[in-house]
Amino acid sequence: MALMPKRVKHRKSQRGRIRGEATRGNRVVFGDFGLQAVQGGWISAATIEAGRIAAQQYLRTEGRLYIRIFPHKPITSIPLETRMGKGKGEPEYWAAVVKPGTVLYEIGGVSEEAAKLCFNRLAHKMPVKVRFIRRRTM
Amino acid sequence: MAEVLNVRRRQTRGKRHARRLRQSGAIPAVLYGHGEEAVSLAVPAEQVEAVVRHGTRLVELRGEVNEQALVKELQWDTWGTHILHVDFARVSSHERVEVEVPIEVRGEAPGVRQGGVIQQLVHQTLIECEAGEVPEALVLKVNELQLGGELTLADLQLPGTARLLSKPEETVVQCVAPAEAVEEEEREEVTAEAGKAEPELIKRKAGEEEPEA
Repeated sequence: MALMPKRVKHRKSQRGRIRGEATRGNRVVFGDFGLQAVQGGWISAATIEAGRIAAQQYLRTEGRLYIRIFPHKPITSIPLETRMGKGKGEPEYWAAVVKPGTVLYEIGGVSEEAAKLCFNRLAHKMPVKVRFIRRRTM
Repeated sequence: MAEVLNVRRRQTRGKRHARRLRQSGAIPAVLYGHGEEAVSLAVPAEQVEAVVRHGTRLVELRGEVNEQALVKELQWDTWGTHILHVDFARVSSHERVEVEVPIEVRGEAPGVRQGGVIQQLVHQTLIECEAGEVPEALVLKVNELQLGGELTLADLQLPGTARLLSKPEETVVQCVAPAEAVEEEEREEVTAEAGKAEPELIKRKAGEEEPEA
Protein backbone atom coordinates (compact mmCIF):
# COMPACT_ATOMS: atom_id res chain seq x y z
CA MET A 1 0.00 0.00 0.00
CA ALA A 2 1.38 3.40 -0.97
CA LEU A 3 1.77 5.96 1.78
CA MET A 4 -1.29 8.12 2.40
CA PRO A 5 -3.19 9.44 5.44
CA LYS A 6 -5.74 7.13 7.08
CA ARG A 7 -8.26 9.91 7.74
CA VAL A 8 -8.49 13.43 6.34
CA LYS A 9 -10.66 16.43 7.06
CA HIS A 10 -10.87 17.57 3.44
CA ARG A 11 -10.54 15.55 0.21
CA LYS A 12 -8.79 18.31 -1.73
CA SER A 13 -6.33 21.03 -0.79
CA GLN A 14 -5.14 24.25 -2.38
CA ARG A 15 -1.71 24.19 -4.01
CA GLY A 16 0.05 26.62 -1.69
CA ARG A 17 3.59 28.00 -1.98
CA ILE A 18 6.81 26.60 -0.59
CA ARG A 19 8.41 29.55 1.16
CA GLY A 20 11.55 29.68 3.28
CA GLU A 21 13.78 26.92 4.55
CA ALA A 22 12.96 24.02 6.85
CA THR A 23 13.31 24.95 10.51
CA ARG A 24 12.06 21.57 11.69
CA GLY A 25 12.93 18.10 10.41
CA ASN A 26 16.29 19.41 9.22
CA ARG A 27 18.54 17.29 11.46
CA VAL A 28 19.50 13.62 11.51
CA VAL A 29 17.56 12.21 14.46
CA PHE A 30 17.11 8.43 14.14
CA GLY A 31 20.06 7.13 12.09
CA ASP A 32 23.68 8.13 11.61
CA PHE A 33 23.48 9.63 8.11
CA GLY A 34 20.79 11.52 6.24
CA LEU A 35 19.69 12.72 2.83
CA GLN A 36 18.73 16.40 2.96
CA ALA A 37 16.74 18.23 0.27
CA VAL A 38 18.52 21.27 -1.13
CA GLN A 39 15.48 22.42 -3.10
CA GLY A 40 11.84 22.59 -2.19
CA GLY A 41 9.14 20.62 -3.97
CA TRP A 42 6.41 18.00 -3.83
CA ILE A 43 7.54 14.39 -3.45
CA SER A 44 4.82 11.93 -4.38
CA ALA A 45 4.02 8.78 -2.41
CA ALA A 46 5.18 6.69 -5.39
CA THR A 47 8.54 8.50 -5.42
CA ILE A 48 9.01 8.01 -1.68
CA GLU A 49 8.28 4.31 -2.18
CA ALA A 50 10.65 4.12 -5.17
CA GLY A 51 13.39 5.66 -3.04
CA ARG A 52 12.72 3.21 -0.24
CA ILE A 53 12.93 0.23 -2.60
CA ALA A 54 16.15 1.53 -4.21
CA ALA A 55 17.75 1.93 -0.79
CA GLN A 56 16.43 -1.35 0.59
CA GLN A 57 17.72 -3.29 -2.42
CA TYR A 58 21.18 -1.88 -1.80
CA LEU A 59 21.11 -2.33 1.95
CA ARG A 60 19.49 -5.80 1.73
CA THR A 61 19.53 -6.99 5.32
CA GLU A 62 22.11 -4.56 6.68
CA GLY A 63 21.39 -1.37 8.55
CA ARG A 64 18.07 0.38 8.90
CA LEU A 65 16.36 2.93 6.70
CA TYR A 66 14.14 5.66 8.13
CA ILE A 67 11.68 7.67 6.00
CA ARG A 68 11.34 11.16 7.47
CA ILE A 69 8.63 12.56 5.19
CA PHE A 70 4.98 11.64 4.74
CA PRO A 71 2.63 12.50 1.86
CA HIS A 72 -0.10 14.50 3.60
CA LYS A 73 -1.15 16.61 0.61
CA PRO A 74 -3.74 15.42 -1.95
CA ILE A 75 -2.82 16.50 -5.48
CA THR A 76 -5.72 16.81 -7.91
CA SER A 77 -5.70 16.78 -11.68
CA ILE A 78 -8.19 17.25 -14.51
CA PRO A 79 -8.48 14.28 -16.92
CA LEU A 80 -7.05 14.56 -20.43
CA GLU A 81 -9.24 15.96 -23.23
CA THR A 82 -11.54 17.67 -20.75
CA ARG A 83 -12.75 21.23 -21.29
CA MET A 84 -11.64 23.77 -18.72
CA GLY A 85 -14.00 24.70 -15.92
CA LYS A 86 -16.53 22.42 -14.24
CA GLY A 87 -14.68 22.65 -10.94
CA LYS A 88 -11.55 21.27 -9.38
CA GLY A 89 -10.24 17.88 -10.53
CA GLU A 90 -10.24 14.66 -8.55
CA PRO A 91 -7.39 13.63 -6.19
CA GLU A 92 -4.77 11.85 -8.30
CA TYR A 93 -2.00 11.13 -5.83
CA TRP A 94 -0.57 12.14 -2.46
CA ALA A 95 2.58 14.19 -1.99
CA ALA A 96 4.87 15.38 0.78
CA VAL A 97 5.59 19.11 0.80
CA VAL A 98 9.35 19.48 1.18
CA LYS A 99 11.10 22.71 2.10
CA PRO A 100 14.82 23.20 1.38
CA GLY A 101 16.72 21.63 4.28
CA THR A 102 14.23 18.85 5.07
CA VAL A 103 15.80 15.47 5.84
CA LEU A 104 14.10 12.96 3.53
CA TYR A 105 15.68 9.65 4.56
CA GLU A 106 18.07 8.43 7.25
CA ILE A 107 20.26 5.35 7.53
CA GLY A 108 21.68 3.78 10.66
CA GLY A 109 23.89 0.77 11.36
CA VAL A 110 26.08 0.96 8.25
CA SER A 111 29.46 2.52 7.42
CA GLU A 112 29.66 6.00 5.90
CA GLU A 113 30.85 4.59 2.55
CA ALA A 114 27.89 2.21 2.38
CA ALA A 115 25.48 4.99 3.35
CA LYS A 116 26.90 7.27 0.63
CA LEU A 117 26.54 4.59 -2.04
CA CYS A 118 23.01 3.80 -0.90
CA PHE A 119 21.93 7.46 -0.88
CA ASN A 120 23.54 7.94 -4.28
CA ARG A 121 21.19 5.30 -5.72
CA LEU A 122 18.28 6.81 -3.84
CA ALA A 123 19.08 10.38 -4.92
CA HIS A 124 18.55 9.46 -8.58
CA LYS A 125 14.88 8.81 -7.80
CA MET A 126 14.30 12.19 -6.14
CA PRO A 127 12.73 15.14 -7.99
CA VAL A 128 14.75 17.61 -5.89
CA LYS A 129 18.48 18.14 -5.44
CA VAL A 130 19.75 16.48 -2.30
CA ARG A 131 22.90 16.25 -0.23
CA PHE A 132 24.48 13.81 2.19
CA ILE A 133 24.65 14.81 5.87
CA ARG A 134 25.89 13.26 9.10
CA ARG A 135 24.50 13.24 12.63
CA ARG A 136 25.62 16.23 14.73
CA THR A 137 26.61 15.59 18.32
CA MET A 138 26.42 19.12 19.79
CA MET B 1 41.02 20.94 29.93
CA ALA B 2 38.92 23.97 29.19
CA GLU B 3 39.44 25.77 25.90
CA VAL B 4 39.89 29.55 25.89
CA LEU B 5 37.49 31.81 23.99
CA ASN B 6 38.27 35.49 23.49
CA VAL B 7 34.99 37.28 24.00
CA ARG B 8 33.88 40.87 23.91
CA ARG B 9 30.74 42.46 25.24
CA ARG B 10 28.02 43.22 22.72
CA GLN B 11 25.91 46.33 23.20
CA THR B 12 23.77 45.91 20.10
CA ARG B 13 20.73 43.64 19.89
CA GLY B 14 18.40 42.45 17.16
CA LYS B 15 18.63 40.40 13.99
CA ARG B 16 20.23 43.11 11.82
CA HIS B 17 23.10 43.57 14.23
CA ALA B 18 23.43 39.81 14.73
CA ARG B 19 23.66 39.30 10.97
CA ARG B 20 26.32 42.01 10.66
CA LEU B 21 28.23 40.39 13.49
CA ARG B 22 28.15 37.00 11.75
CA GLN B 23 29.34 38.59 8.49
CA SER B 24 32.31 40.04 10.36
CA GLY B 25 33.36 36.55 11.51
CA ALA B 26 31.92 36.54 15.03
CA ILE B 27 29.03 34.67 16.61
CA PRO B 28 26.53 36.30 18.99
CA ALA B 29 26.42 34.62 22.38
CA VAL B 30 24.89 35.06 25.80
CA LEU B 31 26.28 34.27 29.26
CA TYR B 32 23.88 33.60 32.12
CA GLY B 33 23.48 31.69 35.37
CA HIS B 34 24.34 31.81 39.10
CA GLY B 35 21.59 34.37 39.60
CA GLU B 36 23.69 37.08 37.97
CA GLU B 37 22.74 39.35 35.12
CA ALA B 38 22.81 37.92 31.57
CA VAL B 39 25.57 39.37 29.39
CA SER B 40 25.44 39.60 25.60
CA LEU B 41 28.75 38.56 24.02
CA ALA B 42 30.46 38.17 20.67
CA VAL B 43 32.83 35.24 20.13
CA PRO B 44 35.15 34.60 17.14
CA ALA B 45 33.51 31.99 14.90
CA GLU B 46 36.67 29.92 14.35
CA GLN B 47 37.17 29.53 18.12
CA VAL B 48 33.60 28.31 18.63
CA GLU B 49 33.93 25.92 15.68
CA ALA B 50 37.11 24.50 17.23
CA VAL B 51 35.27 23.93 20.53
CA VAL B 52 32.47 22.10 18.69
CA ARG B 53 34.98 20.05 16.67
CA HIS B 54 36.79 18.96 19.83
CA GLY B 55 33.53 18.24 21.65
CA THR B 56 34.57 20.44 24.61
CA ARG B 57 31.85 21.60 26.97
CA LEU B 58 33.74 23.61 29.58
CA VAL B 59 35.30 26.82 28.24
CA GLU B 60 37.28 29.72 29.69
CA LEU B 61 35.93 33.09 28.60
CA ARG B 62 38.71 35.69 28.36
CA GLY B 63 38.68 39.34 27.36
CA GLU B 64 35.96 41.74 28.45
CA VAL B 65 34.45 38.90 30.53
CA ASN B 66 36.64 36.51 32.51
CA GLU B 67 34.65 33.52 33.63
CA GLN B 68 34.36 29.78 33.29
CA ALA B 69 31.31 28.62 31.38
CA LEU B 70 29.57 25.57 30.03
CA VAL B 71 28.40 25.46 26.41
CA LYS B 72 24.69 25.07 27.16
CA GLU B 73 23.14 25.31 23.71
CA LEU B 74 24.09 25.90 20.09
CA GLN B 75 21.79 27.26 17.41
CA TRP B 76 22.58 26.07 13.88
CA ASP B 77 21.34 27.22 10.49
CA THR B 78 19.02 25.04 8.38
CA TRP B 79 21.96 23.27 6.73
CA GLY B 80 23.80 22.50 9.96
CA THR B 81 26.93 24.19 8.65
CA HIS B 82 27.00 27.55 10.47
CA ILE B 83 26.51 28.25 14.15
CA LEU B 84 24.08 31.12 14.66
CA HIS B 85 24.20 31.61 18.42
CA VAL B 86 25.79 30.14 21.55
CA ASP B 87 24.41 29.96 25.09
CA PHE B 88 27.01 29.87 27.88
CA ALA B 89 26.07 29.01 31.47
CA ARG B 90 28.30 30.24 34.33
CA VAL B 91 29.86 27.32 36.21
CA SER B 92 32.76 26.54 38.48
CA SER B 93 34.74 23.44 37.53
CA HIS B 94 33.62 21.48 40.64
CA GLU B 95 29.96 22.40 40.32
CA ARG B 96 27.69 19.52 39.36
CA VAL B 97 25.84 20.06 36.09
CA GLU B 98 23.31 18.16 33.98
CA VAL B 99 24.39 17.62 30.37
CA GLU B 100 23.33 15.60 27.34
CA VAL B 101 26.30 13.49 26.23
CA PRO B 102 26.53 11.49 22.97
CA ILE B 103 26.91 7.71 23.12
CA GLU B 104 29.65 6.15 21.02
CA VAL B 105 29.38 2.46 20.13
CA ARG B 106 32.77 0.75 19.86
CA GLY B 107 33.98 -2.74 19.04
CA GLU B 108 32.80 -5.62 16.91
CA ALA B 109 29.91 -7.66 18.20
CA PRO B 110 30.00 -11.48 17.87
CA GLY B 111 26.31 -11.23 16.93
CA VAL B 112 27.23 -9.44 13.70
CA ARG B 113 29.47 -12.37 12.70
CA GLN B 114 26.43 -14.62 13.23
CA GLY B 115 24.52 -12.52 10.69
CA GLY B 116 22.88 -10.03 13.06
CA VAL B 117 22.50 -6.29 12.63
CA ILE B 118 23.47 -3.72 15.26
CA GLN B 119 20.77 -1.13 15.91
CA GLN B 120 21.50 1.92 18.03
CA LEU B 121 18.26 3.18 19.52
CA VAL B 122 19.58 5.90 21.83
CA HIS B 123 22.24 8.31 20.61
CA GLN B 124 22.66 10.56 23.65
CA THR B 125 21.80 10.53 27.30
CA LEU B 126 21.47 12.88 30.25
CA ILE B 127 24.10 12.64 32.98
CA GLU B 128 25.03 14.65 36.06
CA CYS B 129 28.71 15.23 36.69
CA GLU B 130 31.24 17.87 37.67
CA ALA B 131 31.58 20.60 35.06
CA GLY B 132 35.30 19.88 34.76
CA GLU B 133 34.82 16.23 33.88
CA VAL B 134 32.05 16.33 31.24
CA PRO B 135 33.10 13.62 28.76
CA GLU B 136 33.20 14.19 25.00
CA ALA B 137 31.23 10.96 24.57
CA LEU B 138 30.21 7.92 26.60
CA VAL B 139 31.72 4.72 25.24
CA LEU B 140 29.63 1.58 24.95
CA LYS B 141 31.60 -1.57 24.10
CA VAL B 142 29.70 -4.19 22.12
CA ASN B 143 32.44 -6.83 22.15
CA GLU B 144 30.23 -9.31 23.98
CA LEU B 145 26.92 -8.54 22.31
CA GLN B 146 25.39 -11.74 20.95
CA LEU B 147 22.61 -12.14 18.39
CA GLY B 148 19.32 -11.24 20.06
CA GLY B 149 21.09 -9.48 22.91
CA GLU B 150 20.88 -5.86 23.99
CA LEU B 151 22.85 -3.33 26.00
CA THR B 152 21.21 -0.74 28.21
CA LEU B 153 22.22 2.61 29.64
CA ALA B 154 23.36 0.73 32.76
CA ASP B 155 26.18 -0.82 30.66
CA LEU B 156 27.72 2.59 29.93
CA GLN B 157 31.11 3.43 31.41
CA LEU B 158 30.62 6.67 33.31
CA PRO B 159 33.62 8.82 34.19
CA GLY B 160 34.54 9.67 37.81
CA THR B 161 31.63 10.87 39.90
CA ALA B 162 29.17 11.05 37.00
CA ARG B 163 25.62 9.83 37.61
CA LEU B 164 23.09 8.68 35.04
CA LEU B 165 19.84 10.67 35.03
CA SER B 166 18.02 8.72 32.32
CA LYS B 167 16.37 5.36 33.03
CA PRO B 168 19.17 2.74 33.30
CA GLU B 169 16.98 0.01 31.82
CA GLU B 170 16.57 1.93 28.54
CA THR B 171 17.97 -0.09 25.60
CA VAL B 172 20.83 1.63 23.78
CA VAL B 173 22.00 -1.02 21.34
CA GLN B 174 20.50 -4.29 20.22
CA CYS B 175 21.71 -7.00 17.89
CA VAL B 176 18.76 -8.26 15.89
CA ALA B 177 18.30 -10.81 13.14
CA PRO B 178 18.16 -9.10 9.72
CA ALA B 179 14.72 -8.23 8.37
CA GLU B 180 13.69 -10.51 5.53
CA ALA B 181 13.97 -9.00 2.09
CA VAL B 182 10.73 -7.66 0.64
CA GLU B 183 9.37 -10.08 -1.90
CA GLU B 184 8.92 -9.09 -5.51
CA GLU B 185 5.19 -9.87 -5.43
CA GLU B 186 4.59 -7.47 -2.60
CA ARG B 187 6.35 -4.69 -4.51
CA GLU B 188 4.19 -5.25 -7.59
CA GLU B 189 1.09 -5.06 -5.42
CA VAL B 190 2.25 -1.72 -4.05
CA THR B 191 2.67 -0.15 -7.49
CA ALA B 192 -0.66 -1.49 -8.71
CA GLU B 193 -2.64 -0.19 -5.75
CA ALA B 194 -0.96 3.20 -5.54
CA GLY B 195 -3.25 6.17 -6.05
CA LYS B 196 -6.53 4.22 -6.18
CA ALA B 197 -7.74 4.10 -2.60
CA GLU B 198 -8.93 7.20 -0.77
CA PRO B 199 -8.66 7.89 2.95
CA GLU B 200 -11.65 8.10 5.22
CA LEU B 201 -13.22 11.55 5.50
CA ILE B 202 -13.58 13.00 9.00
CA LYS B 203 -17.21 14.14 9.20
CA ARG B 204 -19.13 15.96 11.90
CA LYS B 205 -21.32 13.57 13.88
CA ALA B 206 -25.11 13.90 13.59
CA GLY B 207 -25.58 15.19 17.17
CA GLU B 208 -22.84 17.85 16.96
CA GLU B 209 -23.77 21.49 16.37
CA GLU B 210 -21.98 24.03 14.21
CA PRO B 211 -19.23 25.79 16.20
CA GLU B 212 -20.12 29.38 17.04
CA ALA B 213 -18.14 32.03 15.20
